[in-house]
Amino acid sequence: MSVEARERPNATQEPPDRPSRVARLRYRLNVARHDPTLAIGIVLTAVLAYLVVVPIITLVIDGLQVQYGDQQRAQKDPGEWTTYYLWRVFRSPISELLFWEPLVNTLVVVVGTTVIALLLGGSMAWLLARTDMFGRKWFATALVVPYILPSWTFALAWLTIFKNRRVGGQLGLMEALGATPPDWLAYGRVPIIITLGMHYFPFVLLLVGNALRRLDSQLEDSARILGAPRRTINRKIVLPLVRPALTSAILLVTAKVIGTFGTPYILGLPVDYNVLATSLYQSINSRQTGVGAVLAATIVVIGVSILLIDARLVREYRRFVTIGGKGAMGRVNRLGRWRLPAFLAAAGVFTLCVVVPLGTLFLSTIMVVPGRFELSNFTLDFWIGDDLDSVGFPQGILVSEELYTAAWNSVRIVGLASIICAVLGLLVGYVVVRLAGTRLSSFLRQAAFLPYLVPGIAFAAAYLSLFAVPRGPIPALYGTFTILVLAMVVNQLPFSSRAGISAMMQLGREPEEAAQVCGAGWWRRTTRVVMPIQKGSLAVGVVMPFISGIKELSVVIMLATSGTQLLTTLSVDLVEYGYTQLANAVVLVIAFVSFTMTYIAQRLTGTSLAAGLQG
Amino acid sequence: MPTIELSGVQKSYVAGQLAVRNLHLEVPDGSFTCLLGPSGCGKTTTLRMIAGLEQPDAGEIRVGDRVLDSVAQGRFVPPEKREMGFVFQSYALWPHLTVRRNVDFGLRLRKCSRPERERRVAEAMRALHIEEYADRYPAQLSGGQQQRVSLARMLAVSPDVLLLDEPLSNLDAALRLEMRTELKRLHAELGHTVVFVTHDQLEAMTMATHIAVMKDGELQQLAAPMEIYERPANTFVAEFVGSPPMCMLDRETAPGAAAIWDFVAATDPELAVQAGTIGIRPESIMLAADHLAVPEGCLAFPVTVTAVLPTGSTWIVSLDGPGGEMFAVTSTPPVGGVGDEVVAWVPRERLHVFDDAGVRLTARHERVAGDEPVEAIR
Repeated sequence: MSVEARERPNATQEPPDRPSRVARLRYRLNVARHDPTLAIGIVLTAVLAYLVVVPIITLVIDGLQVQYGDQQRAQKDPGEWTTYYLWRVFRSPISELLFWEPLVNTLVVVVGTTVIALLLGGSMAWLLARTDMFGRKWFATALVVPYILPSWTFALAWLTIFKNRRVGGQLGLMEALGATPPDWLAYGRVPIIITLGMHYFPFVLLLVGNALRRLDSQLEDSARILGAPRRTINRKIVLPLVRPALTSAILLVTAKVIGTFGTPYILGLPVDYNVLATSLYQSINSRQTGVGAVLAATIVVIGVSILLIDARLVREYRRFVTIGGKGAMGRVNRLGRWRLPAFLAAAGVFTLCVVVPLGTLFLSTIMVVPGRFELSNFTLDFWIGDDLDSVGFPQGILVSEELYTAAWNSVRIVGLASIICAVLGLLVGYVVVRLAGTRLSSFLRQAAFLPYLVPGIAFAAAYLSLFAVPRGPIPALYGTFTILVLAMVVNQLPFSSRAGISAMMQLGREPEEAAQVCGAGWWRRTTRVVMPIQKGSLAVGVVMPFISGIKELSVVIMLATSGTQLLTTLSVDLVEYGYTQLANAVVLVIAFVSFTMTYIAQRLTGTSLAAGLQG
Repeated sequence: MPTIELSGVQKSYVAGQLAVRNLHLEVPDGSFTCLLGPSGCGKTTTLRMIAGLEQPDAGEIRVGDRVLDSVAQGRFVPPEKREMGFVFQSYALWPHLTVRRNVDFGLRLRKCSRPERERRVAEAMRALHIEEYADRYPAQLSGGQQQRVSLARMLAVSPDVLLLDEPLSNLDAALRLEMRTELKRLHAELGHTVVFVTHDQLEAMTMATHIAVMKDGELQQLAAPMEIYERPANTFVAEFVGSPPMCMLDRETAPGAAAIWDFVAATDPELAVQAGTIGIRPESIMLAADHLAVPEGCLAFPVTVTAVLPTGSTWIVSLDGPGGEMFAVTSTPPVGGVGDEVVAWVPRERLHVFDDAGVRLTARHERVAGDEPVEAIR
């Protein structure tokens, strides 16, 4: 033969005989022995499964099993499977009251709130990101303030102004001035929509504003070079590219409104205007555990569906949305003679959503009777007095023991939860990034994000059913600090874990691997390389949950008891007693703490307010 | 300095998709071996497995007489105990430590005495010309400087084996050339066994003493750079190495194939029968105004010039010929301008012949010359 084939190097080698299962296992164990990531991952999985997944399952089971005390009505023994609660919520004579009416009300509130938030947030976002309005920089921070305030601040401010004689206690300002506001203006649908809109518009502002700012100016320049007039560019280029952010904002506001408890409770109660969240609260409060479980599960289903739709849409949009990194937005629309009116509009929004509510609340706390502007009517008693006629709460807020107990509880519980959250978040991030591509990694990522889909109040209901009785080695936790801390942790976990994952992603595995190659074992790598680098994220990871936890109401309202009073629940209690000034004072204290912490966080991270805001 | 040996190494990230397939590779002691291949060919995975940062599903990795990985024996030496150096594509400097502390890190772990540490840190920094940045933080350095720190960090602990994962890909062209020279110098001075991953064939050709070409997780050829260039083991290696790429003429599809096969058959009929593909390197193609200028015994075929791209030192000529679009590289201004029909000719021994499966066939003249690299052709 005159030709010989040159063999490929591999052709001569036999294929490797696949090592036996035992050998591979032994090898794996040996690898795992040197790297505890997997072990940490397994522990985290167990923890998240118990804290996140199990409560939701318990909730569903509670809704399908006969509860104690319901034997007669369900005509089955406790613990047996039943459709009684489903029937009661969806098909019974009282389901109109329990579910359908609250559902319709919820939808009305959602639509109304979203419209207001979109109009306010969208127009302000455009003014801030795309025009030469005066004071854009200042407004960019100032207009986010309503979102930093506890959401029901606006409800209290509203009551302080518009409350009529239907409810006892302190008079409303209008009433005191001689004009009695009608019920529709004082309570129920209209005020709920307006106050929630005021609270949530900054959310739209942030999302849409970011999208507008990230838009590559080259895209617009290209259109302009092709001869498109300004209007066409805005309509055909800018709007479609911002649409994903708009859609996201709408869906997220919707999800948040569904889970919001405080505002509808405060403004809806006097006229029996119920939304799903308050209906759920009342069911749980009147010990209808089964009905509550069904309602909570329904809220979960609605919340999950909305966020799945959002995820789906975002994926859809991702096909065409380009995030131009380089062409930083340089183009602004010149407002010309509209510059001043635009400024006044923004200032007006700020006044209405920040100055008026806070001012009203503050005024109410230093006046004995609303609306009478005489020196003798002004007092600091509600802050520092010790001889108030409010039964059971005779001292001014700043000198009363209740406030400090509640504040101490808040700080302890929220603080502990925030620290746990930050550590958990980083650990989740570490494992998710290090084990990227494994099933464990994706389970952790999803489980940590799951609470985001579950409205706070529904989660609290789930925790009630899980921890009301001892289960296995875990004692009944109702009424303890622990349950509040756990609920807070889980509620904030989506944000912490997302922050942790992105911090770890940004760091990448390489710095740690470099240390490893240099000869550093796991403990050394963690303490000498990973932790020092992530110091900043860890600090932010503590502060952020703290800010949002300190004003959290929906999650804690059902879990806090008189022994574990928090600032937020104290304020709602005072509202219920009709001690308007005291309740308002407590809310102002919360707002103050929230503000201060946000400011510190901002100093700490050097980022804008907007970047850190979450729940 | 040790030899690195991989035998029967397999690795998959996703079930059913092998990232590295039955890899047998011997990196000679003291060599500068490049793992070369397109992205996703498993070269980085291979490197990471040598470092212990990834673990094989099967097979064995040895350095010298030390077994680092053996799935069958359940043996695994963690990366921190392998005493190797690894330079990452992203440099992976620790942002919270100064340059000095970065370089010092490994020595501290080794419990060196303080004067010893200081001496070796200074030495490593001097070798890479970064003494003046000793007290800066990585964020204050340029890419090239970071690269040097990352190298110094690994050299400080003087490992026997140095693994480099595309270390030059984030540098600009001028710096890259400088670092190539630098790396070659360091290798010559210190004599480590170096394994270098790259997808840049020029980098591999210029720096390596050995090149291992990989594709789809399989080793295609392991040989000295010139051997790879002049006697590529298969069509993949032939096309991957060399720029502009080798022109491949397929028996079935190339328009002018018949004449070329006839030419091969005239001298080596059996070769012509087995040949599925014939490859011609662009610099092997000479251009002439007419057939009279073509030397005896050379393959000649008509082509049309479609574009001339001068690079300064050479001319890349795009041609429309028997293989469709093909390139020639000439060191003198090409005969004829765009649109002209000229004659392209190739010396007989410059044809690369591959069988239907793409495996290189040895031509008669090579067999006469024995199994040595075909120096004669140059």
